[in-house]
Amino acid sequence: MVDTIVFVLAALVILSGALGVILARNPVHSALMLIMTLFGVAVVFVAQEAHFLAAVQVIVYAGAIVVLFLFVIMLLGVDQADSIETEPIGGQRPAAGVVALASVGLLVLLAVRAVQVSSGARSTSSALDGEGTNLEKLARVLFTDYLFAFEATSALLVIAVVGAVVLARKPAAEDVQDRKGVGALGRTRSGSGR
Amino acid sequence: MLHLLAQAEPFRSPTVDFHAFAPEIVLSVSIVVVLLVDLVFDERGKWATSSIAGIGLLAALVPVLTLAVDGADRSLFDGAYVVDNFALVMKALFLLSGYVTILISARYIAEGDYYEGEYYFMLLCSLLGMLVMGSARDLISIFVALELLSIPAYLLAGWRKRDLRGNEASLKYYLLGVFAAAVMLYGMSLIFGVTGSTILTEIGAALDGGEAPAPIVVVGILFIVIGFAFKVSAVPFHTWAPDTYEGAPTPITAYLSVASKAAGFVALLQLVFIGFLGRSDVWGPLFWVLAAITMTVGNLIALRQTNIVRMLAYSSVAQAGFMLAPFAVAGDIDVDRGGPLAAIPPVVTYLLIYAAMNLGAFAVVMVVARKTRSGELSSYGGLFEYAPGLAVLMTVFIFALAGIPPLGGWLAKFVVFRALLDAGTPAAIVLAVIAAVNSVISLFYYASVAREMWMRPVPDGDRAPIRIPASLGSALALAAAFTLLFGVSNVATRFGDLAIFGFLP
Amino acid sequence: MSEFLRAYLTVAVFGLAAGLLVAAMLGLGKLVQPSRPSRQKRINYESGVDPVGAGFGQSQVRYYIFALLFVMFDVEAVFIFPWAIGLESFGVFGLIEMAIFIVILALGLVYAWRKGVLRWA
Repeated sequence: MVDTIVFVLAALVILSGALGVILARNPVHSALMLIMTLFGVAVVFVAQEAHFLAAVQVIVYAGAIVVLFLFVIMLLGVDQADSIETEPIGGQRPAAGVVALASVGLLVLLAVRAVQVSSGARSTSSALDGEGTNLEKLARVLFTDYLFAFEATSALLVIAVVGAVVLARKPAAEDVQDRKGVGALGRTRSGSGR
Repeated sequence: MLHLLAQAEPFRSPTVDFHAFAPEIVLSVSIVVVLLVDLVFDERGKWATSSIAGIGLLAALVPVLTLAVDGADRSLFDGAYVVDNFALVMKALFLLSGYVTILISARYIAEGDYYEGEYYFMLLCSLLGMLVMGSARDLISIFVALELLSIPAYLLAGWRKRDLRGNEASLKYYLLGVFAAAVMLYGMSLIFGVTGSTILTEIGAALDGGEAPAPIVVVGILFIVIGFAFKVSAVPFHTWAPDTYEGAPTPITAYLSVASKAAGFVALLQLVFIGFLGRSDVWGPLFWVLAAITMTVGNLIALRQTNIVRMLAYSSVAQAGFMLAPFAVAGDIDVDRGGPLAAIPPVVTYLLIYAAMNLGAFAVVMVVARKTRSGELSSYGGLFEYAPGLAVLMTVFIFALAGIPPLGGWLAKFVVFRALLDAGTPAAIVLAVIAAVNSVISLFYYASVAREMWMRPVPDGDRAPIRIPASLGSALALAAAFTLLFGVSNVATRFGDLAIFGFLP
Repeated sequence: MSEFLRAYLTVAVFGLAAGLLVAAMLGLGKLVQPSRPSRQKRINYESGVDPVGAGFGQSQVRYYIFALLFVMFDVEAVFIFPWAIGLESFGVFGLIEMAIFIVILALGLVYAWRKGVLRWA
């Protein structure tokens, strides 16, 4: 009973946050709504007894990632509201609406048809049975079975840093770039910056 | 704290088979060396990074060969990471096409004054992701490998960051790529939810039993396939490809159209033929539709292109349709003809041949662009008059792509048609007819390049010969040699037949 | 109610108490305070410098790199935590694993440092 109440409350928080993200006019508000969604997910994790994941959800996602989003928003500018009235390719929006509705219908159908496997109750999987805490078991599979994925994560993070530095850096030699090289072989299009 | 430790069973460190990991380790070391050289020597060391990257790739090929000689299938981490013949063939393909990419990049990047050290760092990281993809037999490994190969590719597509078209290329690729990854991840979570495992062989066993509820399995498979359909640029998920190919640096375009696409197919092969093998009723029709519209739409739009890079982009979309065709009929292949698994060799053979001929075509495009500074089809006018060698090579690659014997491409198409006819169902025959019609259509735009080179006058009367730098020359020679070799011998089909999975559910 | 969720009941009660306390104090203040609004009182910094221009100011791209480095080490901490819990049991193998992880991440930091993006010039 309490499980259900917790789940319903968390789901409401998640969904209203998610709706807020896409409906808010101001991108900063969208980012703040995203924090709400992530907190709701953290509550669901707690209800599933995945405390560590809940903490990670708050620390990394609600804390660090959303801050990153906010920096990007502040970099690009919240006031520069682009007009989204014009439609570059005709009929694209109705088509997108149809596809979106179809996807929602599919997922609703899925939830209804699959009610016997998705009860909302706490999951029990063999990996979580037995002695020891949640975190210890997580650590055990992370450092044995998923060792390679774990090491690859560090490479991913370094790629992100190097990529960000390349994109953000402005070396003295920047001006000569593209003058000597062949460049792209695209059509010359109005509005392209060459 | 202490009593918790006492309760838990003792930790056993997993045995890591370093021989199995050797290609990845060698490549990782060369990635670190490239980054360190860039860090320590800064501007003075930049020239060395391309050589280090190339040597690193060739060095990583050595353990692939020793593993092939050794021949034993190795399974690590409970079957999450497998080194079998399939993995080795694909790894060799990734390393070689990566090497050719570096060969065609060297002058372009050095002369363009782009961030050289970082460029090779990114390229090698992406290739590392592909090596991992070749062995990943687990949903988490596949996802990490996909990110590892995609994120550097997003950055590389926008490497000319002062160019608006470069920005457009990177942005479109990135946004659609992460969207596809999200859809795929959702599918993976559904599949994990109903099967309770991330290991593909266990998923295969669970799905084959038929206990899993059908709706979730269908949606899970659908979402995963859609996610990779973006990666291999199958219609209707191809919209990023032409703009990205056009705006990205040309060597990266070649890389994306060959290695990145091959990685997507590798993931699809592993997921479909290990994880979802028993559910061909779900993915068979899905692939049929994808294959049919991919080759048709790709070819029809390619007919209208006047820019060679965009034309090759749509041609690569169409070629992906041919590679998807064996998936569509795999479930219908009789057991005495090899069963569903008989659909794997045609795809692998096609990938190998396609890599050689497409890389070759892009290498010619790069060489010609060094003189004409243009990618327009009209700039190829009269190429034969002032650069006969190049014109002949381009004709070879173009006609190979069109599938004309005795060049490589015909064999690729032949094995696909044979798989379709082996299945023999009406759906397979219809698909074979669609493929045959498409082969004819493709001849028109491929031949238009040849007509331009052989029959049209030189556009501006500039008949100065083209100087080919050594690195580009060796790339051309490699691609041409393989294109011819694959056409006149059965090397590619031999490798295709070799590429079988070591562990099945 | 499960044993587990009962433990979180304390958290809920605590949060409720905090909310009630704040509401009570603000409500009490509202009841007793005189209210004479004026334009001067309603600006952002009542006794400070008058605000000029719009609320938005474009931030520098440098902040982004710092935020990204923060995320990187945040994730590192997340991975180190489970490792530290079972430090003794993972032994030398775990130590080598974590050393590789940290060294690779450190490479990223050294890169950012060498390329001068950490300098605030």
